[in-house]
Amino acid sequence: MKRILACLLVLTMVFSLAACDKKDSNDNKATNAPANTTTDAPAASTTNDGEYVSSILQNAVELTLWDIAVEGDGNRPAYDAAMADLKAKYPNVKIVETVTENEAYKTKIKAAVGANELPDIFFTWAGAFLGDFVDAGKVHCLDDVLKKYVDNGELPEAMLGNSTYNGKHYGVPTTMNVVGLFANMDILASVGYDHIPATKEELVDCCDKLVAKGITPFVCAGKETWCVTEYLEPIMEKTIGATELNDIFRNGKTWNNEGIKTSVATLQEYIDKGYFDPNGIALSNDEAKAKFMQGQCAFYQNGTWNCGDFSNPENVKFNVSVGEFPVMDSSKSKAGQLIGGPSDTIAVSEGPNAAAAAEYAVEFGRLICHYGYLKGSGLPAWTPWGDLSEVSPLMKTVTEICNKANGYVLFGDNAMSAEIANIYLEYVALVYGKEIDGEGFVNGLVKEIG
Amino acid sequence: MIRSFPVTPFGGAGKTFSIDWEGIYMKRKSKSHSLAIFLFLLPALILFVGLLIAPIIMSLYYSFFDWNGLKALDPSEDFLGFGNYTILFGERIQFGKALINSLILAALSVFVQLPVSLALALALGKKIKGERVFLSIYFMPVLISTVVIGQLWLKIYNPEYGILNTFLRAIGVLEGDIRWLGEKNLALGAVFAPTLWQYVGYHMLLLYAGVKSVSPELREAAKLDGATDGQVNRFVVIPSIKPIIKVSVIFAVTGSLKSFDLIYVLTNGGPMKATEVPSIIMIRELFLKNKYGVGSAIAVLLILLCFFFAILIGAIFKERDIYGKK
Repeated sequence: MKRILACLLVLTMVFSLAACDKKDSNDNKATNAPANTTTDAPAASTTNDGEYVSSILQNAVELTLWDIAVEGDGNRPAYDAAMADLKAKYPNVKIVETVTENEAYKTKIKAAVGANELPDIFFTWAGAFLGDFVDAGKVHCLDDVLKKYVDNGELPEAMLGNSTYNGKHYGVPTTMNVVGLFANMDILASVGYDHIPATKEELVDCCDKLVAKGITPFVCAGKETWCVTEYLEPIMEKTIGATELNDIFRNGKTWNNEGIKTSVATLQEYIDKGYFDPNGIALSNDEAKAKFMQGQCAFYQNGTWNCGDFSNPENVKFNVSVGEFPVMDSSKSKAGQLIGGPSDTIAVSEGPNAAAAAEYAVEFGRLICHYGYLKGSGLPAWTPWGDLSEVSPLMKTVTEICNKANGYVLFGDNAMSAEIANIYLEYVALVYGKEIDGEGFVNGLVKEIG
Repeated sequence: MIRSFPVTPFGGAGKTFSIDWEGIYMKRKSKSHSLAIFLFLLPALILFVGLLIAPIIMSLYYSFFDWNGLKALDPSEDFLGFGNYTILFGERIQFGKALINSLILAALSVFVQLPVSLALALALGKKIKGERVFLSIYFMPVLISTVVIGQLWLKIYNPEYGILNTFLRAIGVLEGDIRWLGEKNLALGAVFAPTLWQYVGYHMLLLYAGVKSVSPELREAAKLDGATDGQVNRFVVIPSIKPIIKVSVIFAVTGSLKSFDLIYVLTNGGPMKATEVPSIIMIRELFLKNKYGVGSAIAVLLILLCFFFAILIGAIFKERDIYGKK
């Protein structure tokens, strides 16, 4: 009897292992679900005022969403406002959101792709980052859902360029961001500047005066190499020009370029002259940004997603302005050539909920763009609409800069494939640490990448 | 119990066959015991094989392929042989340098961390006042999340307002800022300090358990022979807890080879790869560069190194018999 009971207990323990499965068995089904075809596009309907209302989202559905809009992130208010609007519009749609910090998210989302555990809707970066997922067949094509927005002019076709692969659209741009040179105008005023330096000579003069006064011109978070690229890439673009840099980043042109060597030399010259906070090499982006917001340095060059934080008088107690990095070589580059573009993207995974997720994702992206522009966390990738009086002066300044832009180069680590981007970032880190010069940078990248 | 039975086959002389009923009973009982043992071990075996052995075998398999982890693996197209292993020791990845960093951490763990843990265990094993309170205090860093400890030490090491630089400036040793995590020649030591600090309590607890298990009679006998406290520890307690010291050394070395989380939070392998360890490279190759083959190769090498050091340490600690042979 005892043995029978013991055996029963053991069998119970063994079979209980089968219960250690994912909570939602629908996750497993998603991996085997056939890809949605264009014939599955749901019937659309509109309200009396012409606003599009999705029929499929009238049904009860639970959608999983992953993103990086953590508390304190500049995009969080836009995400919250967008989700609130959609909750009111589609009360039967339940969103289960998981938020992860930026760097950790890059690891998490790739692990999810490999394990076939992508959520229904996920934040991603356009360019090669999303391209790898599309190549793996894990991303749902959004052509059908996006078409009506492109046709009626709400979404410029050009904004879909970075999330278009083999002629098909796989992402919804949420914002457009460029690298901006944010400046503490109170500090600049103390050295006689009432505007952001517009030429190379002005920049050098301004920085020399700041250094002489014991003020650090720039702060750069060396611990996160992408922050170093926010300085190096504008220098490269303003030295060799947007077209040349685009060819190197996206079209496989060789890195063996004298202008690239000169750009690296320029950055290192500025480091040697004391233009950069020497402690920056050990700082994270949050720490570097905090230094700027505390008024400890004059400039902070980073993405325009920071406009929301810098426009908030509770965060920043001084006069902030934004401009573009000055031209370094006017024979090859000119003002109006910017680093950036529509990179922040919402995508949909292939699965049983793909149709509903696609409808939701497009409206979600549209609303994030709208509120992000109002709240200053990004430029509009969609045609701005509604009452725009809330847009901050800082964001309006960036909009004016973009209106005059004549060339964009997508951020290097988004434009290039994962492997090449990481090789590039490794060499950028060596440049910032003065381990290699321009020659070493170029030779290394030519050897590794071409 | 053996019973004999006379048996008379056709046309043959009578023969006697013996049946060992007791032996049959013991064999049947032994078989049913074996079955019970197997059934009780089965759940743990399934978990062990499923969560440990199977992933190791799969890692070994993937290490022979050039695979990005996103698309389905095509064995014919993606096979690389030992290519991933040769890439590791090339100029770009600098796996050898990372391995040396891990071995330095292992050496510091064995020759700095463990002696401190042993000293604490010996001190606390003497039934001092507040023994349990001290135990809890020293063990507390082990319980705290590594990410929290990393953030704490980031603040300690901050060049401008960090408590370390502030203290050094206050006592007049330092004038400017020391970038503990920003200087190549300082970052490695700066990163290892909290790593070693965090697990002192863990090894202390293991050794404390051993110290407590030493028979009091042995201590008393030594004291009666005139041994001091130090001599008691050296000639009685420490030899008695040698098996536990061996376990602690194995844990310290293998843990150092696999160290990742604290280094990731503090420096992520920087500045300029100065604090890179194999696990950091593995995560970067796997999740940032989508090189699952290379990452798997690193995982396999780490497993082999852990095995090697476990066997080596076991051999070093092997007891000699009365003839002096191991």
